[in-house]
Amino acid sequence: MNIPFFGDLPSDVLVAWIFSVILGIIVSIFIIKKKKLPVIWEYIRTTNHRKIGTMYILFGVLFFIRAGIDALFIRTQLALPNNEFWVFQYEKYNEVFTTHGTMMIFFAAMPLLLGLMNVVIPLQIGARDLAFPFLNAVGFWLFLAGAIFFNLAFFFNTTPDVGWTGYAPLSTSEYTPGPSTDYYVFGVQISGLGTIFTALNLIVTIVRHRAPGMKLTRMPLFSWAALITSFLILIAFTVLAIGLYLLMFDRLFGTGFFSGDEGSPVFWQHLFWIFGHPEVYILALPAFGMFSDIIPTFAKKRIFGYPAMVISLALIGFLGFTVWSHHMFTVGLGPMANTFFAITTMLIAVPTGIKVFNWLFTIRGGVLRMTVPMLFSLGFIPSFVMGGVTGVMLSVSAADFQFHDSHFVVAHFHYVILASTILGIFAGLYYWYPKITGYMLDEKLGKWHFWLFLIGYHLTFFPMHISGLQGMPRRVYTYGADEGLTTLNFLSTIGAFLMGVSMLFVVWNLYKTHTKKEKVGNDPWNGRTLEWTVASPSPEHTFDPMPVVKEMDPFWYAKQENRELETTTKTRAAPIAINTIIPILMAFSLFVVAVGLTFTWYWLAIAGGVLLFSLFIIRSLTDERKDHYGKGVETNE
Amino acid sequence: MNDYEIALFKDKQMGFFIYLGVEAIMFATLFATYFIFTPAVKGPHPSDIFEWKSLLLSSFFLLSSSGTLILAEKGFTQGDKRKFLIGLGLTFIFALVFLGLEFSEFYRYVQEGYGISANTFLSAFYVLVGLHAAHVLFGACWMIVLFILYRKKTSTALYTEKLKIFSYYWHFVDVIWIFIIVLVYVPYLM
Repeated sequence: MNIPFFGDLPSDVLVAWIFSVILGIIVSIFIIKKKKLPVIWEYIRTTNHRKIGTMYILFGVLFFIRAGIDALFIRTQLALPNNEFWVFQYEKYNEVFTTHGTMMIFFAAMPLLLGLMNVVIPLQIGARDLAFPFLNAVGFWLFLAGAIFFNLAFFFNTTPDVGWTGYAPLSTSEYTPGPSTDYYVFGVQISGLGTIFTALNLIVTIVRHRAPGMKLTRMPLFSWAALITSFLILIAFTVLAIGLYLLMFDRLFGTGFFSGDEGSPVFWQHLFWIFGHPEVYILALPAFGMFSDIIPTFAKKRIFGYPAMVISLALIGFLGFTVWSHHMFTVGLGPMANTFFAITTMLIAVPTGIKVFNWLFTIRGGVLRMTVPMLFSLGFIPSFVMGGVTGVMLSVSAADFQFHDSHFVVAHFHYVILASTILGIFAGLYYWYPKITGYMLDEKLGKWHFWLFLIGYHLTFFPMHISGLQGMPRRVYTYGADEGLTTLNFLSTIGAFLMGVSMLFVVWNLYKTHTKKEKVGNDPWNGRTLEWTVASPSPEHTFDPMPVVKEMDPFWYAKQENRELETTTKTRAAPIAINTIIPILMAFSLFVVAVGLTFTWYWLAIAGGVLLFSLFIIRSLTDERKDHYGKGVETNE
Repeated sequence: MNDYEIALFKDKQMGFFIYLGVEAIMFATLFATYFIFTPAVKGPHPSDIFEWKSLLLSSFFLLSSSGTLILAEKGFTQGDKRKFLIGLGLTFIFALVFLGLEFSEFYRYVQEGYGISANTFLSAFYVLVGLHAAHVLFGACWMIVLFILYRKKTSTALYTEKLKIFSYYWHFVDVIWIFIIVLVYVPYLM
C-alpha cells in the first residue's frame, strides 16, 4: 500500500499504525477524563523504588504482550505446511522472529525482573530505597528509551531482521544496509546501559543498606539472587556494550572488525555469547530466588539447605561465564575447545540439581497452600527439569551437530526460559501484587491463567523436540507437507494460542481487581520476610522504626512466638528521595543521539550529546545532597 | 564529614568503584580486540607509524596530571586555596595539552593515510585509544564543573566528596593510559 511520506507500507505495519493511533486516543481520553495527568507527572519525576519498579513492570507487561503477539504470528505462519499467513513469509518472517526474540529478552523479561527487584529488594532487606534513587530513575528511563527506539523501527517498516543474536557479517552494513539493524544496535545499547546502572545500584543497596542484624547469612534468597545476578549483569552487559560499540563502528564508520577478509565474524559470536550465556542466568537466577521465597511461605517451612542454595546460586553464576562457546560447537573451534565447553556446561547441571532437590525437600512434609504463586512454583519445577535435561543433551558437542539450529534447540531454550523466568515472573507478580498496588489478584482467575498457560506451554514446546529431531530448522518460515511435521506444528500452534488465551485471563483479572478495589493488609499471605511488615502498597517512607533482625525469616518467627519484631531508631543515613525531571531528559537526549546516528544526521547526534552534557552539569550544580550536607564550612568563604 | 555524610559518601564511593570496574571490563575487551587484530594481515604495520617522541611527550603530561591532582587534593584538605587552585589548574592544562598532542598524532596518521578504516589494526587502535581520549575530554569538562562548584558556595563535605570521586576517575584514566603505553605502543617500538 502506498502512503505519502512513508512510501510503500505493508499491511501489517499499516494495521499497527491504525491500532496504535486508536489506542493512543483512547488512552489519552481516559487519562484526561479520569484526571490522571498529575499522577503521570508524578511518576515521570519520581525516584521512589516502588514507583520505578511499577513502571518497569507496566512496560515490561506491555512489551511482553507485543512480543507475544509476534509469537502468535510465527505460530500461525507455521501452523500448516506451505502456509501463507498474511505477510509473514521471507523477510517478514525474519523480522518477526528477530523482534520476538529481542523484545522478549531485553524489553520484557529484563524489565519485569528488574521491576520486581526494584519493588521487593529494599523491602526485603530493610532498606528505605535503593542506594542511588536518582540513578535508579536514570536506569529505568534508559530502558524505556531503548525499548521505544527499537519499537519505532517497525512503524517505519525498517524492522531489524538479523535475529536477536545479530550475527555478523549479516548485521554489518554490507548485508543489511539502511537503518534497520541500527535500531537493534542502539536500542539494545541504550537499554543495556540502564541495566548496568541498575545492577550497580542493587549491589550497593544490598551490601550497604541492610537492616541492623540482617547479615548476609540471614538474607532472603531473592535478595541473594539479585545480588549475584547484578554481578553477572555488570560483566555480561559491559561486554555486550563493547560488542555493539564495535558493530556500530563497522556499520557507520568503515571499520571491519566482523567482516571482510581481515575481520572475524566469529569474534562477534564470542563477544555476543560471553554476554549471551550469562544473560540466560541473569534471567533465571532471580526467578530461582523468587521460587525460593515463595515455596517456604506456602509450605510453611523454612527453606531446605539455605547455605547450599546460596552456594549453588554463586556457582551457577560463576560457571555461567565458562560455557559461552557451547553456542558455537559447530563453528569449528576444534575438539579441545568443544570438549572443555561441553564439560563446563554439564557441570552447571550439578548446582542446578541441588537447587531442585532443595525445593522438593522444602515442600516435603510442609503444610501446603495451593495459591496461585505456589502453583506457578510447582509448575516450574518439573517443566524446568525437562529443559535442563535437554540442556545436558545439547552440551554433548558431538550430538549438538545434529541438534544445532533445529527446533530441538528452540524447544530447549523455551523450556528453560519460560519455566524459570516467565513462570517466576508470574509467581512473583501474583505474590507481591499486594505490595505493589495494595490489592490482591483474584485467585480463581489466576488459576485459570496458570492451568491454561502451563498446558499451552507444554503443548507448544514439547512437540518441537520431536519436529526438531526430525530435522525442522529454526528461523525458516515454512515446511513441506510430505515432511511429517504437520501434526507436530499444528499442536504447537494450538498450544501457543492457549497461552495467548491465558493472558486474556490476566487482563480480566487486572480489570476485576482494580474495579473491586478491595484493600488488603500488610501480610495477606502470612509471609516470612520483612516486606510483609510494611503497609500495602509500600509507602514512600518505610521502616520507621527500623526492625532489628536476629534470625532468618524474622517476621515469621516473631509471629510464631507471638511477639513484635524488635526495632530501633538508630539507623544509617537513608538515600535522599527527590522529584526530578532530569533522568527522563537524559534518556531522551541519548534517544536523540541514537536517532542522529541511525540516520547519519550527525548534527542531531551532536545536539543530543550537548543536551546530555548540559544535563550532567545541571545535575552536578543542583545535587540534592547540597541541602543535606553540613552547613558549617563552605568553599570560597 | 559527620557520620551521615560519611555513610552517603561511602555508598557513592562503592558505587563509583563498581562503575570503574565496569569501565575496566570495557577497556579489557577493547585491549583483547586490539591483540586479536594487531598486527593486521595486510596494510600498515604498527611499527611503521608509532613514534617514541609523541608517545613520551603525551605520556609526560597525562601522567604528571595525576601528581598535580594529588597536589590539589592536599591543598584542599589543608585549606590552602592557592595550592588547590594551582594544582587543579595544572591538571586541567595538562589534560588539554595531552588532548592536543593526541589530536595532532591522530591528525598526522590520517594525513599519512592511516585512517580508521585502513586496516583492522588501525580500527582497533582508534576505538581503544579514541575511547581513552574521550575519557580525558570528559574529565577536562568535569574539572570545569569543579571550578564552578568551587566558586559557588558548596559545603566542604560535599566538595570533598566530589573532588574525591573525580580523583578516582582521573587516576583510573591514567592507569588505563599506562596499559595503553605498555600494551599498545611499546611492543611495536622496541
